[in-house]
Amino acid sequence: MTTTDAVRDGVMIFAKRECETCQMVEPVLTRLASSMETIVLTQDDPTFPANLAAFDDTSLEKSFKHDIEAVPTLLRFKDGKEVARTQGWDRAQWRKITGISDLGVDLPEMRPGCGSKSREPGVYETLMAQFGKLDFKSRPIQLGGWDDEIEACFDRGWSDGLPVVPPTDVRIIRMLDGTTRKPSEIIGDVPPNLSPITVEKVAVNAVMAGCRPEYMPVVIAALEAALDPLFTMHGLLCTTCFSGPIVVVNGPIVKEIGMNSGINCLGQGNRANATIGRALQLIIRNVGGGRPGELDRAVLGGPGKYTFCFAEDESDPTWTPLSVARGLPKGKNAVTLFQGDGIQGFLDQRSRTPEQLTKSLAMSLLAVGHPKLCEFTNAMLVLVPEHYAIFRDAGWDRDRITAELHKAMVRPREIVIQGAQGVGEGVDPKRQDAMINKFWPEGLLIVHAGGQAGLFSAICAGWTGGRFRNESMPVTREIAL
Amino acid sequence: MKSGILLRDPTAETASELRCRRQPLDSFEGKTVALMDIGKMRGDEFIDRLEVLCHQRGIATLRYKKPTNTRVAPREMIKEISEKCQAVIIALSDCGSCTSCSTHDLNDLDKKGVAGVSVLTTEFLQAFESQRATIGLDAASVYVPHPLQNKTTEELHAWADEAIDEILAAICIESDGASVKKVA
Repeated sequence: MTTTDAVRDGVMIFAKRECETCQMVEPVLTRLASSMETIVLTQDDPTFPANLAAFDDTSLEKSFKHDIEAVPTLLRFKDGKEVARTQGWDRAQWRKITGISDLGVDLPEMRPGCGSKSREPGVYETLMAQFGKLDFKSRPIQLGGWDDEIEACFDRGWSDGLPVVPPTDVRIIRMLDGTTRKPSEIIGDVPPNLSPITVEKVAVNAVMAGCRPEYMPVVIAALEAALDPLFTMHGLLCTTCFSGPIVVVNGPIVKEIGMNSGINCLGQGNRANATIGRALQLIIRNVGGGRPGELDRAVLGGPGKYTFCFAEDESDPTWTPLSVARGLPKGKNAVTLFQGDGIQGFLDQRSRTPEQLTKSLAMSLLAVGHPKLCEFTNAMLVLVPEHYAIFRDAGWDRDRITAELHKAMVRPREIVIQGAQGVGEGVDPKRQDAMINKFWPEGLLIVHAGGQAGLFSAICAGWTGGRFRNESMPVTREIAL
Repeated sequence: MKSGILLRDPTAETASELRCRRQPLDSFEGKTVALMDIGKMRGDEFIDRLEVLCHQRGIATLRYKKPTNTRVAPREMIKEISEKCQAVIIALSDCGSCTSCSTHDLNDLDKKGVAGVSVLTTEFLQAFESQRATIGLDAASVYVPHPLQNKTTEELHAWADEAIDEILAAICIESDGASVKKVA
């Protein structure tokens, strides 16, 4: 074995034993070694080639530094600088590069090589982290040799209470591969501390949340939506209320990244659903400084504050997707963020007509916040396929359902005013209208999702910030790929 | 030493990379301070004197002794201290394993809401800094000279006399020594 890896005037060949083309050119390598300064770097087995002292590159450091994509690769050096290279076995090229006109006479004219080990899936990023030039701006935290990295993350207060994936350079490199945005690009200021966040910091937190790189565009879009002043993320985080951001994803990306819009889509078990919502929450915690008991003052909070993210079922062509209803062209990828709480189940297995179902849904929706509070919060209705079918079969579309629901939820002043029905809570007595709407006209968001069986839809109550109609609104944003 | 993995800070980095330690007590009034002997030889003599000095200042204390300085404190001990005491003085670390284990104890108690300080010998300043950095806690420490094992009891008591104000100041805001209520 040789320990030198520099060639001044000669050739360098990268090879591996498991490659048949490399084995085939073994006699050529021997011939080269006897004719000129030659170094063979072997990627898998330092004893290959048998009759040459090869340089052990099982660490793949040299393969990485010379950016080797396939083996064998022949590199020609003059005055210590690379002047030519060729991949695989191409007799004419090898002869031209080495200047040996009868090289490989017994070999076929051409044979492709194999992929370089340094280019195998997952390997390249590891080599990049180890040997590459990294320009990460995030502070490095060196752990001791005996430290448990999961515990180290807990100890530093970086977790929502569940274990996080330790944000190592390799994982961050992979995560950044999921976006075309530059790591240094600033997305915005994250409340409550209003700390600027870069794409790199998004990636660090996405790693910790357990995201895959292909989720990055969704995470970034969700963050951008959350940072839109209209979304009032600042108030939503600091509120004493239960609420947090509920993320609804639309468009082809749902299938591409394997999100769940069907059975148990509001529940556990799907990585994309679970980790995209979690990444947003970790960013607010870690970058924004929004930690419970400090500036997050929720009196109870809710399980949705770990993560609450799901996709809309767009498989029924009669259904207008949420993103389209909110103004984006059909077929675009989008996130909609809603300030909401955990779910209130809507159980109705008896309604047979759209009119019955509308009345029935209205009864449950009226309970949002408080039955006597009106225009005080928004609401999200997650309509399951079996309930939607009752509307659809009668020819009702999204607009009709929304309009009919609003109509069914107009309340007489005298029963909702503060003090009415012996209950202090209610609508401000200064309000003089005889009839009052439960929600703002734009304040009821309907999402079609869930398994094909089960007459159980869900209502997510909105945050009390929704009472300021023009100050705090759900936000929809296209996902830039 | 075996080198560990490198992580990247997920925060806005507006604060130290170490987690802030529990705020020191506002006053010792109505509070109890745990005197935690790490179980190393001679530490008890130093703590005997700390106990006297605390009582002279009207500070209530409870004594605890770890079974060994070479392991972290038993869970039950951490639990009991956190239930009965609001602050802890951990003493006296004069070796590598006791420095490491006692810093973990300090961290465990901090996470349970107990304001703490570790007393070590000067030789282990670097070890303490390194351990608190890997734990990620902005832990408090007070140093006495090294070595201690060849000192007389009187000498150890003299060190305690010298260090007491600094030790108390680390666990109580109003404690600059003089402002603490003295009991004659």
